[in-house]
Amino acid sequence: MEPQQVDTLTGVLDKKMTRQLKQYLDICARCAICKDACHQYVATGDLTYLPARRAELIRQIYKKYFTKTGEFVPALYEARDPDESLLDELYESTYACTGCRRCMYYCPFSIDTAWILSVAKAILIAADRGNEMLGQLADAALMKSDNFDMFRDIILDGFKDIEGKVKEMTGDPSAEIPVDKEGADVLYVALAGAHSILPAAAIFHEAGTNWTLSMFESANYGYFFGDAEKARRIADRFMDEAKRLGVKEVVITECGHAYRVAQFFHEAWSGEKHPFKVRHILEVIDEYIRDGRITVRHGAITEPVTYHDPCQVGRNGGIFEQPRDIVRAIASDFRDMTPNREEQWCCGGGGGLVAIAEMEDFRLKSGAKKLEQVKATGARIIASPCENCRLQLEGLNDQLDLGLTVKPVMDLVVDAMEIRR
Amino acid sequence: METYLYLTSVVGVYIGIGVFVVGMAWRIYQWSTTPKSPVRLGLFPKPATSTGRGLKMLKDTFVAPHSARIEPVMWGFAFAFHVAALAALIGHGRLVVEYTPLVRLLGGDGMSTFAAWSGGTAGIVMTVAVLFWIARRTYGPFKQLSVPEDYFLLFLLLGIIVMGNHMRFLGHVPVETYREWFQSLLVFRPVMPAEIANSNVGWSLGTHMLFVNVFLVYFPFSKLVHTIGAFSANLVRSE
Repeated sequence: MEPQQVDTLTGVLDKKMTRQLKQYLDICARCAICKDACHQYVATGDLTYLPARRAELIRQIYKKYFTKTGEFVPALYEARDPDESLLDELYESTYACTGCRRCMYYCPFSIDTAWILSVAKAILIAADRGNEMLGQLADAALMKSDNFDMFRDIILDGFKDIEGKVKEMTGDPSAEIPVDKEGADVLYVALAGAHSILPAAAIFHEAGTNWTLSMFESANYGYFFGDAEKARRIADRFMDEAKRLGVKEVVITECGHAYRVAQFFHEAWSGEKHPFKVRHILEVIDEYIRDGRITVRHGAITEPVTYHDPCQVGRNGGIFEQPRDIVRAIASDFRDMTPNREEQWCCGGGGGLVAIAEMEDFRLKSGAKKLEQVKATGARIIASPCENCRLQLEGLNDQLDLGLTVKPVMDLVVDAMEIRR
Repeated sequence: METYLYLTSVVGVYIGIGVFVVGMAWRIYQWSTTPKSPVRLGLFPKPATSTGRGLKMLKDTFVAPHSARIEPVMWGFAFAFHVAALAALIGHGRLVVEYTPLVRLLGGDGMSTFAAWSGGTAGIVMTVAVLFWIARRTYGPFKQLSVPEDYFLLFLLLGIIVMGNHMRFLGHVPVETYREWFQSLLVFRPVMPAEIANSNVGWSLGTHMLFVNVFLVYFPFSKLVHTIGAFSANLVRSE
């Protein structure tokens, strides 16, 4: 191991050192209570995926380079250099983590392993070992904003096509997809593709919301990649747009990590308070239904429906009841999974894993617990407000030919919405 | 024997307590001077008020209800150990000062019986819990995850507890004699009563104190700092 390389990597750890991280590294008792919290460890029995072990790799570097006892008696802690073998292990355990933070929930000291692994990602990136695919996707997102004039017309053309469908869906030829609208109340940030724009546009139209659509998608591969600077710049794209247009709130589509980035991370990263609110689209739709701004027909769906709490929306985002209220307003047979809400099992699709081709087998295998839960409900439809979750749930469904339908919650809303003529 | 007791139960105690106090202060200083991350790491659902968050932190720290749900057996041993350790710590307070109101309430003999039973129970509970933890670390993922520090601390604890049990169950030295020794340390005029040195617990007190001193010296530099770190880490959970 080159001393230069050691300096660089321990330098990253030093730069990322916060009180929380230091305490997490100091206090873990290696009791392994987190073992059965992790869907990946439970599905594989592989030490690589045991949460405390994932964190232990960073602790080994910390002990050797940041504590006197670890420096003098490294053997006591199995402290070691951030050498190739450690980095290999670190890569495996870090980029596999979906960041669901179920281990933190059960930990007696509430150690946030995902937070430790966000530092692990920074170390891997500094060692030029960041996940290639996630890195490319992050760069592509920034390329779009850096060369926006090149993309503008293509994007607007795409929106026009979707606008045609909104007119059809609502039966209103004046229905539109407003873009770049100054003075709009709401900036809606969707994902790439019509599926996350169309239903929201129909709902906003019916509710009579003064809204505008963001030119940028909310997905943030900089966050999954683990580069906080890139992640901030990717989120800046629509945050700056929101400031420029003077909206009252930014509404994030049915996506988990994008909501968490916008709601909990972006202000801390940018050091600025948002001059607007941030909400998840399901909070908004729930409010529309309660206020009678849109009407959904109860019993529009008679097949049994279950709801999957995406980790970043539920345990890490605090939205548990609104989606359930929406589904209950529509479906006559709603069945919750056990456990649910803050104790729900991660489906295995988070953390950008669905974008990493070589992870597919492992990812589907890690969905075993979720699959068990879904089967136990006997539901035919799974509603879930996170794209990564839906892709994973669809993958599990296809692999085992279960014949289930996986849908965003707003698709159910649109199907059950009474269109006012 | 006198030399052994002098080293472990006089000089060693000063070193142990000194390193422990300075080490813990240094640890807290280190934590408090490291800037907090501006990112809120809380899990939902969380209380809306700071009082609610504080109460939840205390509950999460002292009861760890979530851990109980996922691994009740481990939680049971851990909870029992910590309660017993707290009881033992309170019991050892009699070395500093006699709990006079309690003696008045129970009477002299009553107090001795109570101390024998509570101290004895705590000692047995701790022994069983530590043996469980050692056994747990000998197989499967627990073994793979363990590092030498884990075994070192467990065997150190086992040594302290077994020696303590020896004094409790097989010794005949009354608490007043131990108090005479310990109070002499507190006023920096150390005396080791001959009654201890000449009894069957001279060696066990010396060895008990040897392990205790090593434990105190190592404590601030070990994972045992979870005794204070757990509070702030559990508070972060609700932020």
